[in-house]
Amino acid sequence: MASASKSKYNSHPLENESINMVSQDGVSQDLSENVPHLPGERGITDKEVIYICPFNGPIKGRVYITNYRLYLRSLEMDSALILDVPLGVISRIEKMGGATSRGENSYGLDITCKDLRNLRFALKQEGHSRRDMFEILTKHAFPLAHNLPLFAFENEEKFNVDGWTVYNPVEEYRRQGLPNHHWRITFINKFYELCDTYPAVLVVPYRASDDDLRRVATFRSRNRIPVLSWIHPENKMVIMRCSQPLVGMSGKKNKDDERYLDVIRETNRQTSKLTIFDARPSVNAVANKLVLTGAIQVADKVSSGKSSVLVHCSDGWDRTAQLTSLAMLMLDSFYRSIEGFEILVQKEWISFGHKFASRIGHGDKNYADADRSPIFLQFIDCVWQMSKQFPTAFEFNEHFLITILDHLYSCRFGTFLFNCELARERQKLTERTVSVWSLINSNKDKFKNPFYTKEINRVLYPVASMRHLELWVNYYIRWNPRIKQQSVSHPLSHGLLLLSFRQPNPLEQRYMELLALHDDYIKRLEELQVANSTKLCDPSTSPSSPSEMMPHVQTHF
Amino acid sequence: MWWGGRGQSFNVAPHKEEPEMGLSGPKSDPGNRMPEPSSPQLGSCLASGCLPGEQILAWAPGWRKGQGLELPGALICTNFRVTFQPCGWQRNQDTHLNSDYDFALINIGRLEAVSGLSKVQLLRPGSQLKFIPEEILLHGRDFRLLRVRFEAGGLAPQAFQVTMAIVQAKAQSSQAQQYRGINLSKVGKVPASRKPPIPLLETLEDWETERKKQGAKGWRVSTVNERFDVATSLSGYFWVPSRILDSEVRRAFAHFHQGRGPRLSWHHPGGSDLLRCGGFYVASDPNKEEISAVESMLQAGHSDVVLVDTTDEMPSLADIHLAHLRLRTLCLPDSSVAEDKWLSALEGTRWLDYVRSCLRKASDISVLVTSRVRSVILQEHGDRDFNGLLSSLVQLLLAPEARTLFGFQSLVQREWVAAGHPFLTRLGETGASEEAPVFPLFLDCAWQLLQQFPAQFQFSEFFLLALHDSIRVPDTLTFLRNTPWERGKKSGQFNSYTQVYTPEDSQALAGSSGNLHLSVWDWDLRYSKEQISQFLNPGYNPEHCPDSWFPGQQTSFMAPGPPSSVLLFSRGALTPMNQLCPWQDSPSLLAVSSHWLPRAARSSESLADQEWGLPSHWGACPLPPGLLLPGYLGPQIRFWKRCYLRGRPEVQMGSSALTISGLQDELSLLQELLRKWAPRISPEDHCKKRDPNSILSQTR
Repeated sequence: MASASKSKYNSHPLENESINMVSQDGVSQDLSENVPHLPGERGITDKEVIYICPFNGPIKGRVYITNYRLYLRSLEMDSALILDVPLGVISRIEKMGGATSRGENSYGLDITCKDLRNLRFALKQEGHSRRDMFEILTKHAFPLAHNLPLFAFENEEKFNVDGWTVYNPVEEYRRQGLPNHHWRITFINKFYELCDTYPAVLVVPYRASDDDLRRVATFRSRNRIPVLSWIHPENKMVIMRCSQPLVGMSGKKNKDDERYLDVIRETNRQTSKLTIFDARPSVNAVANKLVLTGAIQVADKVSSGKSSVLVHCSDGWDRTAQLTSLAMLMLDSFYRSIEGFEILVQKEWISFGHKFASRIGHGDKNYADADRSPIFLQFIDCVWQMSKQFPTAFEFNEHFLITILDHLYSCRFGTFLFNCELARERQKLTERTVSVWSLINSNKDKFKNPFYTKEINRVLYPVASMRHLELWVNYYIRWNPRIKQQSVSHPLSHGLLLLSFRQPNPLEQRYMELLALHDDYIKRLEELQVANSTKLCDPSTSPSSPSEMMPHVQTHF
Repeated sequence: MWWGGRGQSFNVAPHKEEPEMGLSGPKSDPGNRMPEPSSPQLGSCLASGCLPGEQILAWAPGWRKGQGLELPGALICTNFRVTFQPCGWQRNQDTHLNSDYDFALINIGRLEAVSGLSKVQLLRPGSQLKFIPEEILLHGRDFRLLRVRFEAGGLAPQAFQVTMAIVQAKAQSSQAQQYRGINLSKVGKVPASRKPPIPLLETLEDWETERKKQGAKGWRVSTVNERFDVATSLSGYFWVPSRILDSEVRRAFAHFHQGRGPRLSWHHPGGSDLLRCGGFYVASDPNKEEISAVESMLQAGHSDVVLVDTTDEMPSLADIHLAHLRLRTLCLPDSSVAEDKWLSALEGTRWLDYVRSCLRKASDISVLVTSRVRSVILQEHGDRDFNGLLSSLVQLLLAPEARTLFGFQSLVQREWVAAGHPFLTRLGETGASEEAPVFPLFLDCAWQLLQQFPAQFQFSEFFLLALHDSIRVPDTLTFLRNTPWERGKKSGQFNSYTQVYTPEDSQALAGSSGNLHLSVWDWDLRYSKEQISQFLNPGYNPEHCPDSWFPGQQTSFMAPGPPSSVLLFSRGALTPMNQLCPWQDSPSLLAVSSHWLPRAARSSESLADQEWGLPSHWGACPLPPGLLLPGYLGPQIRFWKRCYLRGRPEVQMGSSALTISGLQDELSLLQELLRKWAPRISPEDHCKKRDPNSILSQTR
């Protein structure tokens, strides 16, 4: 992370132990310098390089490579630049320049990152410094090709909260009021035999037997049958998800599949309508606007009680996940809380088999793989757009979303690894890795939106017009130090500019200040009240009775 | 949104109190929201809200369409404006001159009448209304939209009449000179002795007070232009170096375009002075003494002088006009721009580009002012557009005082109104070809700063919108005149030009009647208390006190001798100049042999980068206190949706009130309780670092 800062502010509270590394090139170094490291993180090598900063030009620095990160510290007196790059974000490493290269800094490595950073290091041509660095980086950035584990399996971090317990499907369905007279929870997929990319626990119409489900599965791509994602608490309209029907095989519709859809229709007494939302042609363009528009249509159908909706795309794990999860976010305020959002991601994305491993390419060196696609990023972008349009509706702040995206790539946590629940269970992921929700939930205050006002049952309809969508500058352009807002009011801003750590938004800061003052006032009033009530012999001496005063004190802040 | 959205405050139950103007006949029941079109009293009832000299030309009952519910009421056309008066709402004491639904005739940019599927634009030459409209749409040049659906049935002729009345009134209103402003005594609301909320800078005292406030010790108020005979477009008073005599000022100013010689705009507490002046009048032939006077006025006692051409790397007036027209077309509700072409269409207007130029230039100038003690002279040929824009922006960036609600209004009054920005011409009301929305461009820049530094401004976006919408409101003369002289003349401050020459008259007039006139800053005449309370930014949390300037650095004013460096700031770089004045072979006293060479400027580097090595070495050299350095790179310049997209149909489903203002209200309440209960406990006992009362008073 490109940042210009004074080193004394750089120690991360969780990562402040230093690694004492033996210098490889014999240059003496100050061992008291802190190179942050996580429990389980091992130093591999360090090297002096020239970092070619795209904004400030070449800077001499020392790079430290561990099994988790690439860390660079400037060696120049007047620059306090720090780069902190988890190896997981690296998508491509290339050599630049050859033996015959002329010109300054034309020989070295060019590293492309999944989080839109581009790092260039110039190295000396003598010796094998570039070859060594290239091989070490390649080996640890793409461990799958070298039979090495992803760092998540070596990470020994401990948190006081276990993020793996956040999502329990049965509990979540119970929260939605399921099972009920029309819907049942089935364990038919307990051993992933019905569908190997679906979760073990599914909700299906009460009247559909397990045999019906098996027959329908043969007609749906990868056996991803229509199952329930969400049910409206009042009008009982539902959001269903599935993959595309295999029409091409026989050329005609499948009787079992049609009967199954009829059963779904009949679960609702008010209206038997079921809108089938085919996300293949209309939403395939890469634009957050189209995704939002689609999700608004789904949410509107369900919320207005017009009809239930069945969403599918080709396989039901990319566009479908975007649409169902965004529609659920619009409809159900529970998902706008921190834990609710974690459950939403865990449910609609992770458990229903969004192919994170293929779409992100964790630890894999094939950067040009056609399977890679920023589907999940697009979803988070839409969530951010919503949070901009409804600044008080979400319990989490921007930093929460950015943290999720950072660890989508970092491979520090197990949360986003692998393609489906079956693979995760085989790998015993919950036992062998830490969940990113452990990190977030053990320090929730950092991720809270101070302006959050809890509102139950409010449906959010964002404006999906391009006129109202914004570029997420704080995510997409955050590495450009010139874009960073000058934070005048921040106490640290006189000394440094921190890019790797979040500067509090001045409004949030102000709010926190007032909130502290508020708590202080309440405390003083309560103390006064206690003092008064003990010596309350003559009521006429007090300006008003405590009962008159206290209603004011009982506030929603 | 916490600013409530325009008009929402009137959707609540109307005031129960009897309005003061109680001679309007029987009142309709405030709870009855249905119009009573048949009532003969309605006309007189409506008239009660009229301004002096205002006549109702036609009216028709209808429903205002907009965000949320339709609102019943009446559409009224007068010789001043078109207004929609909701049922049951009285022009009460709170806001008896204006409502959210007022459209000054000159603000109407487009008028459309709709019937079934046919839609006619009525303000085009030769266009005629051949049907009875079901609905009309008024598009404001301030990006607002008034959309009224008429009542069907036997009342249709009224709809026709009011529509035609608007067309005719609009046609006749092109001579904006008819707007005389409202005389306070006529309105009868305010005692004549009332002081204007913001010093209008029409008196010597106002200028002297402001000079002292800025701590501009080496400067004095010159009265040389009291009769507007040195420069007709300048205010009667301005600041010049103390040691320059008025006779010298008079002679020196003659060598500048339209007599607009160098004057102090703002004195930086660190010692620098920001000056502004018009272009040198090259054809004139000044003598040695005159050149000397000009030079010492520009030098202002500093040994370091920088001349800034404020039109360099800036859009032309025509550019700004065109960009604004394109922006308005783009933001029309029926704009045909396809969704996926929106961003390129927005870019195509070049409006954001021009906003960027302004911020960049202002940022560079603030670096010049703060990086060393010097005289920075803003020079523009006319000295009435970009000088004012940049001088104001620089002060917003440098002076915490200018970021307060009071300070910002004073700034606009000083750098725009008193300095003779030709508002009327720039609004396109004089028929001259020099229309250019320079002031709206400035407001957009101010909004950008507010976005970038949300805790540094005491005023809110709502305030900027209110100011934006006040530009064409005919109630006051603040914006509908080109010069202070015209403003004074037309307001009756001077009955005739000749009278100005009588010293007694000018004395008497300057002292009293000038203040009688309303200015745009009399917000309480047009906005309700509730709306005015939204002018304040609840997040305001200034870190820098105005008096925290680096003490001791102030150099003694009037350093003797010629300047040691005279530089021209142009194309983002400083170049040495041989002489300040352009007159050939002028016997300049400033024999400058500058050995101070400009640093090689990399085009990507801003002046701040060069000066402080920003941002790579941000920590190395802290910025001068109070300085805000705005970002102006691509995505940092944003589109002011809440202003420009107001007419569009998409409903921005706002959030509930921003919790921060609610919290503040509650804090005041708690404080009150605490005071009641524990009068002896002083706040310091509990909050040593910060007095809680002062935290609140910063925004209250």
